[in-house]
This record gives sequence, structure tokens and C-alpha cells, in this order.
Amino acid sequence: MSEYIIEMNHITKRFPGIVANDDISIQIKKGEIYAILGENGAGKSTLMSMLFGMYEPDEGEIVIRGEKVRIESPNHATRLNIGMVHQHFKLVSNYTIAENIVMGMEPVKKTLGIFKSLDQRRANEEIRALSEKFGLEVDPTKVIENINVSMQQRVEILKMLYREAEILIFDEPTAVLTPQEIEFLLEIIEGLRRDGKTIILITHKLEEIKKIADRCAILCRGKLIDVLDVKETDTKTMANLMVGREVNFSVDKPKAHFGEEILKVEHLTVQNEDKFEVVKDVSFSVRGGEIFAVAGVSGNGQVELADAVAGLLKPSHGRIFLNGKDITQSSIRSRNLEGMSYIPEDRQNVGLVMDMSLSDNLALKNYFEPPFSKGAVIDGEEFVKYSDRLIEKYDIRSGQGSDTIVRSMSGGNQQKAVIAREIELDSSLLIFVQPTRGLDIGAIENIHRQIVEQRNRGKAVLLISLELDEVMNLADTIGVIYNGKIEKIADAGTLTPGEVGEFMMGVGGRHEKA
Amino acid sequence: MNTIIIDGLSFALPLFIMAIGGIYCERSGVTNLAIEGLQGFGAFCGALFAVSIAPLFAGDSPMPFYLAMIFAFLGGMLFSLLHAMLCIRFKANQVISGVVINILAMSLTEFMTKQINASVFQAASNKFVLGVSARVTVPGISAIPVLGAVFTNLYPFEPVIALIAFIAWYVLYKTPFGLHLRACGDNPHAVDAAGIGVGKVRLIAVMVSGALSGLGGICFAYSISANFSSNIYSGYGYLAIAALIFGNWKILPTLGACLLFGFARSGGYELVKILEMPSSYQDLVMVLPYVLTLLMLVFFGKKNHAPKALGVIYDKGAR
Amino acid sequence: MKKHDWIPVFTVLLSLILGAAVIALLGKNPFQAYYNLLQGSGLAPKASYAGHKGMITDFTSFLNALTPMLLASLSVLIALKAGLFNIGVSGQMLAAAFTATVLIGYSELPAALAKPLVILIGFAVGALVGGLVGFLRHRFNINEVVSTIMCNYIIQYVVSFFINVFFVDPVSRQSKNIGAAARLTLVDAAVGDYKMDIPLGILLAAAAVAATVFLLKKTTLGFEIKAVGFGSRAAEYAGVRVGRTRVLAMMLSGGMAGLAGVTYYLGYFASIQPRILASTGYDAIAVALLGNSSPIGIIFSSFLITVISKGSTYMSSTAGVQAEMASALTGIILLISACGAYVREKINRWKENR
Repeated sequence: MSEYIIEMNHITKRFPGIVANDDISIQIKKGEIYAILGENGAGKSTLMSMLFGMYEPDEGEIVIRGEKVRIESPNHATRLNIGMVHQHFKLVSNYTIAENIVMGMEPVKKTLGIFKSLDQRRANEEIRALSEKFGLEVDPTKVIENINVSMQQRVEILKMLYREAEILIFDEPTAVLTPQEIEFLLEIIEGLRRDGKTIILITHKLEEIKKIADRCAILCRGKLIDVLDVKETDTKTMANLMVGREVNFSVDKPKAHFGEEILKVEHLTVQNEDKFEVVKDVSFSVRGGEIFAVAGVSGNGQVELADAVAGLLKPSHGRIFLNGKDITQSSIRSRNLEGMSYIPEDRQNVGLVMDMSLSDNLALKNYFEPPFSKGAVIDGEEFVKYSDRLIEKYDIRSGQGSDTIVRSMSGGNQQKAVIAREIELDSSLLIFVQPTRGLDIGAIENIHRQIVEQRNRGKAVLLISLELDEVMNLADTIGVIYNGKIEKIADAGTLTPGEVGEFMMGVGGRHEKA
Repeated sequence: MNTIIIDGLSFALPLFIMAIGGIYCERSGVTNLAIEGLQGFGAFCGALFAVSIAPLFAGDSPMPFYLAMIFAFLGGMLFSLLHAMLCIRFKANQVISGVVINILAMSLTEFMTKQINASVFQAASNKFVLGVSARVTVPGISAIPVLGAVFTNLYPFEPVIALIAFIAWYVLYKTPFGLHLRACGDNPHAVDAAGIGVGKVRLIAVMVSGALSGLGGICFAYSISANFSSNIYSGYGYLAIAALIFGNWKILPTLGACLLFGFARSGGYELVKILEMPSSYQDLVMVLPYVLTLLMLVFFGKKNHAPKALGVIYDKGAR
Repeated sequence: MKKHDWIPVFTVLLSLILGAAVIALLGKNPFQAYYNLLQGSGLAPKASYAGHKGMITDFTSFLNALTPMLLASLSVLIALKAGLFNIGVSGQMLAAAFTATVLIGYSELPAALAKPLVILIGFAVGALVGGLVGFLRHRFNINEVVSTIMCNYIIQYVVSFFINVFFVDPVSRQSKNIGAAARLTLVDAAVGDYKMDIPLGILLAAAAVAATVFLLKKTTLGFEIKAVGFGSRAAEYAGVRVGRTRVLAMMLSGGMAGLAGVTYYLGYFASIQPRILASTGYDAIAVALLGNSSPIGIIFSSFLITVISKGSTYMSSTAGVQAEMASALTGIILLISACGAYVREKINRWKENR
């Protein structure tokens, strides 16, 4: 028997127009934590999906415990004791934790000795015992929609353990967690390794790898670049290998010249659908020529803050001023006309109408104005003229130019289209929420350049980002949001990343007092 | 009073069994506007079988009726395969599929009824005459005041429906299969990840819906209409949909809705009779269930939750 | 030009072949049967005609039947573009027609006044019912499929009640016939030697098609409707008032249904049968689908479906095929066209993989 529990040899997988995995070979030892590192679209998930039986490789072979196998389905993978926690959890929201875990392998009892039925009590007991055994305490009777994300992730892990998985694949497990939760998850993973499990961690976060992984395979554009021993490598090397070139994280930024106050938010409070306050008494202002960056961990109210400023959510308290005018009660349309551009987090569902053409999307915010329309009548030629110009100016790549249906474009070009549209509005305020999410390094640099350029032109920029690096590189002023409150506002130069991180976790500034 | 209970029940129960079928289908995530067509096609199959074998039995034998129920059950199931094929295999829009199936069921059964009458029975008729099935009264219990009416003048299909309804409830809420089925309507990806075939579960759910609709259809044919003709398509299927929405896609509240609709109908008819109003006033009674459902949605819509994945085409790749 | 516009053509061909097979199985000649359909619709000459009748009179009578189908399909289409399913076309037709019948049909108004008023009332009442559905969706988030179904039956029974109590014709058991002045079809008009039914509504339908094309292609409202239909969240983000757009789209859709209603009940017919909803409203959903959800496509698809239904009587009497065969054939066409999206996807995938 070979020393490896998993061998993937010369794996190639092609999708229409792209080679997702190109002759990749990796070997994983039993009981190790093996990280797979790469940018978005590097082919990490595809590779692991094949191990989990969701796709079959076009070429190459998979060997599990010394035996060559064709993994035909996730079921088959489960029988081989392989489990996977997907990036998007697969849970039934109105079922209990126990029901979710046992589904498909239910304990059964006989009612009246004949009718097979689900043994709810035994299910609860089994799950309770299982969760205690692995130190993953959950209440099996709680319903999924009433528990938080990190608890849901725990349910996903228990699902694998219930199926006696020996090889556990985690797909970007920390993306949705707060720092404390990440810490705890990493401990759980360590614990699972101590119990003899083999762990594969798909991620693009270097610190996590450095913290717990033994070895690390680096993928770049579908190819295996290297397999490194983590202890002997520094994160900088890993980063360069991942990107395929020297990474220049910093952005050239001339000194700021602040102008008039453009956006002013006073005591803003926003409630979500459940009447729960997600933004609490937030006040700040953004001047022309200033990048005001809101730093924070996901889910601390920053998206709602942006939506409220843009008019997609109605605040319950507080006021918003744009160019000195109270816009708290204004419609979205009048805010846009007043000089507000908004690059939303979810470009596919919010920023773009995916099944309309590129030209329609580029004119989405001014189709009702001349020259696009006169009165209520639209001039289609103007749409095309305008969009041809923007395509050229912002280098938007698309199959059929202005007529391209946006859905068929790549994520990076979709984002280019959104940014082109919003910048061309020539608004005095630009709101960017997670503008670089899911994009490759080249696109990120390009977008960063554009943000700085707008600031240099005297625009006010409100940047909301989950990437601390992005905040530190771009901000003139940093506001840190935690639990719906702005914990700290300061000039970018006066805070270190560490300090910002502490405020992000709600523990900032404590040692000053102590 | 007794008439109201007796007539109300005999209307509510077939409606209920159709609504249960609808619940199965929709809780598995497949929108079902096809109940109307499924009950009609089922009733057609049952009626066709009944008139074909009728000569073999004595005039008052209940056998043709029981056999008709079985064939209606099978017929509805068979026709529902079309809905399943369109919605699950061909990923067609489920609303459109439902509408198309209703149109198809109506046109096919009308055509076939006429064609079969002409070429097999040498009659130029557009219906199969069935008559009203004999009724039974349970001795003893029926003597109890008010409540006894429940056991008086029962159509034979009523206890059958009650039994099937109980089984359907048990399967949906107590068995592993029921767990899988309801999960399909909330998050099919979770079901898939648990190693259960979403398509298969939904196929079974749609077939159950077809079978129960067929059953409901033949019961109406043997009670209210006394024959099979295009009259069977007078909106019972849509009323069943109203009932299951009213019942929030849950079996017991849906039973409540069906009884409410049934008693409102029989009560209204009785009222019209007692007040000696012309029979056209019955039409106003017929409006009640629909108005009630709309009002319920207006005032309590927030508490009314359709299954989350209802009508969403399941695509393994999408998230 | 769109790439797969020929899919509906294949759908229809396949259905006709299937239908032909059934007819052949019944021992009849499918080609003759199909030719009879054309003859019955005035698209091919019959062997003989009754006095004052000819191919042209058959054809105008065909147009008379085509009009409501075309308008009803437009109604479905407009709602569909806004991402809404108007299952309630039949109910809206009935509500509009009943109101117009009572207010104008039984009045003594001269034709020049009555006909425009019928059209106006038809549109307005349809728009009102449609608008209500849109409002319920906007204000109470009630799915329009559900509310239109409910409305259908409410309207059906309420109208039936009023007809039976106040307006019933004791012989026909339908509502009393409306006056000729209000009717949108000129019945037995003498043109040359012929006596024909001239459907004025067909002009209305043609105008409606043109207006719909203009609405969707050339107006800001049409742009907003499409944006809401394709992505309501993005539309809202871009400043489109989504609720208002939905209500407006439903009003226009209902208005078209209302026009379909008056051309049906106050044109093709002159009375209303209580307790029955016209199947036109349901057929229209499928016709819109078969027409590739484009106003021009709908002209072809409603033409086809009307040929089949209109010609069926003649087919039945001449070829001896039951008239119901025609509706069964329609059903098959609709069934196969519902698979169109799947075929389209398969073709796309096949092309990508090449």
C-alpha cells in the first residue's frame, strides 16, 4: 500500500472554451492538512469537485487508498469516505439540525410494528453524541434558519462525520466567518486531524494556510505550479507563485486634496426585514477628493449602510445629505440625478440585468434622458453609439459588442461594464461595495486605479470592502464598522492594519484605556 | 343542517384528496396548475373503464365504481407523467406546463369521448353516463345528533378518501421519503448532496398528485355530475389549489380549508333553497372560497409561505 | 436576427405529423382533413358555397375569430415581458365584455358612438382588473398566478349571477343579444354579391400589435417593463419604480385582455354564456409561447391556432373527423412547444461543445 491516501494523476478537465485543470498531479498523505491555493478561477474547486464525484476528469486517474477508482457521483464519494463542505451550504432551512444531518441515512423505527417511519428521537440522540465526540456542540432540535452561519457550517461538518468521512474537503470555509469564528474553525480542523482525518483545504487566504496546513499545492490558471512544505515557505513566496508574478499590493496615490463635503450621514439607523437594527446610529461624512473606506468583517451592516445611502433600504432614523441637500426621503432615481453612483456588491443580480444587452445595461441609469430618449420615446441608435464609446474607453470585452447579452460575459468584464456606467454618470459621489470581489489580480489593479483616479478628479468615494489590504491601500480616511456601529474613524496614515483589525473585531482601543 | 354536513363533506373530500396531491407536488418544488387537467383525465379513464365493463355487472352493482376509482387513479398518474416530463426532464416553465396540460387534457378527453362513443358504442354523445353511486349510512353512529350526519348518506368514496388522506399525511410527515420530499421543495441541493435523487423524488410527487387528482375527479363524476363530460372541467382543480394555498401547503389546515369551502357551498345552497331564492343565487355562494382565499392572502399573506424552491427549475450546477 | 426562430416551425410540423398519424389511424385522409381546415378558414376554396357565401366570407369570419385570440395573446405577452404570468386573461375578458354589454350593448346609442365606447370600456375594465392584480402583487406580494386564478372564478360567478338574474334570454339561456349598433362585427353586411361578417376588431388587433411593438421597442415604459421582467432587483437599483411598472404592465395586459373580451363577446358573439370562461385566455398563454414571446411571432401562432379551431367544423362535416380533433391537435402543438426551451438549450450546448 502506498503512503498516500489520495493520488490524483495527470488530471485534465476541460469546459467549453477553457481548460480548467491541465495535467495536474497531487498526492495526499493520510492524516495531513493539505491546502490547495489559487486565485478565483485557478481550478481549485474543479479539481476537488472531481474528487467528490461531481465531475469526471477528461484525462487522468484517481487512486484512493491504493486503488484506482472512477468516482461517479457524490454518493460514490461518500461510500469511499470522502466528504465535502461546499462554499454554499446545502441545508434545508426549515428542518432541524438533526433532520439535516441524517437525511438520506435516517434511523428508522417501525410504528405499530409495520409502518417504517423516521425515528426522530434516535436521530437527535445520535447527533448529540456525535457532536460531543468531536467537540462540535450543537442542539440537534434547533431549526437551520434560526442559527448563524458558523453554526450552519458546523452542521455541514457533522453531516460528513455522520457519514463516517475520513477525507474531508473544505471549500473556502472561512469566507463567511468572522475572525473569531475562523479561529475556532481552524481549531476544529486541527482536532479532526488529531482524530486521524485527512483534510483538504481549498482557499486563497495565505495566513490560514500558514497557520494550519502541512503542505500546499499552488494552482494558477488551471496548472499546478508547485507543491510546497508550508513550514519552510513564507507567505510572500506563496503569493507570488499563486499570482504567477511579483505582486505589487500598493497603489500609487498622490497626496489628497480634500474639497467640499459631499456626503453627510447623521445618526443613521437601519433595520432589516426582521426589524433588527443592522446599522446603528452611524455618522460620518465624505469630502470631495477623499476615499472614505469602511472596513469590517462581513455581515456587520456595511452592505445595509450602502443600500440605505443609495436608497434601496429605508432608514428608520437619521438623515442623509448629498451636496448639502437632505435626500433621506428621496427616491433612488432622484438620488442618482442628484449625483450618486453606486457599484453594488452583487453585480449579477443588482448591478446588471443579465439577460439584457450590454448597450441596454450601459444606459440603465439614463435611458430616460436625452439623448437616449425624447419624451417617452427611445432612440436605440443613441444607446449603441454610447455603448460603443464606453466599450472602447473602458476596454470591455464582449462577444458581439453592444448587442452582447451580459450573461454571456465574464465576471471581470461585467464589473467593468458596471464601473464604466457609474463613472460615466459623472456623479459627485461614488459608492463602491466590494468592487474587486471574485476578480483576478489584473482586473483588481485596474479597478483600484480607477477608484484613485476618480478621487483625484475631486469625487467623493465611499468604499466598502471586506479586504483589509484593499482598505489600507486605497483609503484616505478609514471608518471601521463592527456590529452595525462605526467604532473608529481616523486618517488612514494614523492606523496600522493591526489596529484596524482589532476595531473590526470590536476589541479596538481597549488597551489604550487599560 | 344534516344536508349541509352531508353535501359539504361529499364535496370537500374529493377536493381534499386533490389538494393533498397538489401539496405533494408543490412541497417537492414543482408548481402544479395541472390539477384541473389531471382530475379530468383521471375521471375520463375511470369513466371509460366503468362504461366498458358495465354490461358485465348487475345494474346496481358497486363494482364498476370501485374499478373506475382504480383506473382513475392510474389514469391521473399516467397523465401526470407529462407534467413530470415537462417540468423535470425538459425543464419547461412549470406554470406553462400546467396550463398546457389542462388544455391538452380537456381537448383530448373531449375528442376521445366523442370518438369512442361514435366508433365503439355507436352513439353520437359527448359524455359517458355513470349515474350517482349508491350511498350508505352507518347504522348506529348516524343516529347521534349533528355528528351523526357525518356518517349518514355517505358516498362509498368518502371513507376511501379518508383512509388515503391519512396514509398520505403519514407518509409526508413521518417517513424518510416524506422528509426527502419536503426537503426538495426547500433546498434541492441539500437533497442532492445527501445522495438522494431530486428528480426521482419529484417524479414520485408529481405522480402522486396525478393519481390523487384522478381519484378526486372520478368522485366528482360519480356524485355531482353523474356522468363524464366536459362539465368535469368546471374549476375543481383550481379550487383545490385555492384550498392548499389557504392551508399554507400543510395537510391538516388544507383539510380545514376544504371543509370550509365544502360547508360554505352546501350551506349557501341550503340557504338559497330555504329563502326560496332563484337558483342563480347559488353563483354568489360559489364565489366565497375564492374571495376568502384572496382576503386571507391580503390580511395574512405574511404568514403564508410557499415552499422556497417552488417553481424553480433544479439545475445541479447552479447555486 | 435571432438564431432559433425556426424552433416553433419545427414544433408545428412535428405536431401536424403527429395529428396526421392519429387521423390516419382513424381511417381518414389526413391531407384532406388539413385541407378542410384551410377551406373552413377561407384560405382555400371549398367545392361549393351556399348563397351569398364564398371564400372571402369564410375568410372574414376567420378574421373574426382570430381577433380575440390575437389580442388575448398580446395581453399574455405584455405581462410576460414584465415577468408576470397573466393566467387571468379569460376573467378579464369576461369582466370587460360584461360591463360593455350592460352599459353600451343594451343601450340605444348610435353605432358611431357605441362602438368606440365599447372599445374604451373594454380596455378600461380590463385594465382595472389587471391593475388590481398588479396592485395585489405590489402591495401585498400576492403571486399574480394565484390572484388571477381567484379573480377568474370570482368574475365568472359574479357575472353569471347578474346575467341569470337580470339579463338572461329565456330561450338561449345566455345573456340577451346586444344591439347591432354596439357590435364590433358587422353581421351579414352586403358586399357585392356576398353577405359577410366584417370584423372591425381586426383593425383594432392590428393596431394593438403595432402599439405593443412600439411600446416594447421604442418607449421608456417598455424598457422599464423589460428591465423589471429580466431582473427586478437590478431595475430597482437603477431607479425604476418596480411596483409601479408591474402595475402598469398588468394594466396594459388587462387592457388588451379587455379588448379581446369585447371583440369576442361583442364581436364574434353577441351574448355571454353564463358560468363559462372562454378558453381563449388559456390558449393565449400557449400561443404567446409558441410565438416566441414576440408580437410578430404571435401573429403567426394565433393565425395557426385559429385556422385549426375555425376550420374544424368544416373538417368534421366533410372529412368525417370529429371536430374535437382540432382542439386535440392544438393541445399537441402547445405541448410540444412547451418543450421548446429545452430543445433550444440542447442546441446551444451542442453548438458550444463542437
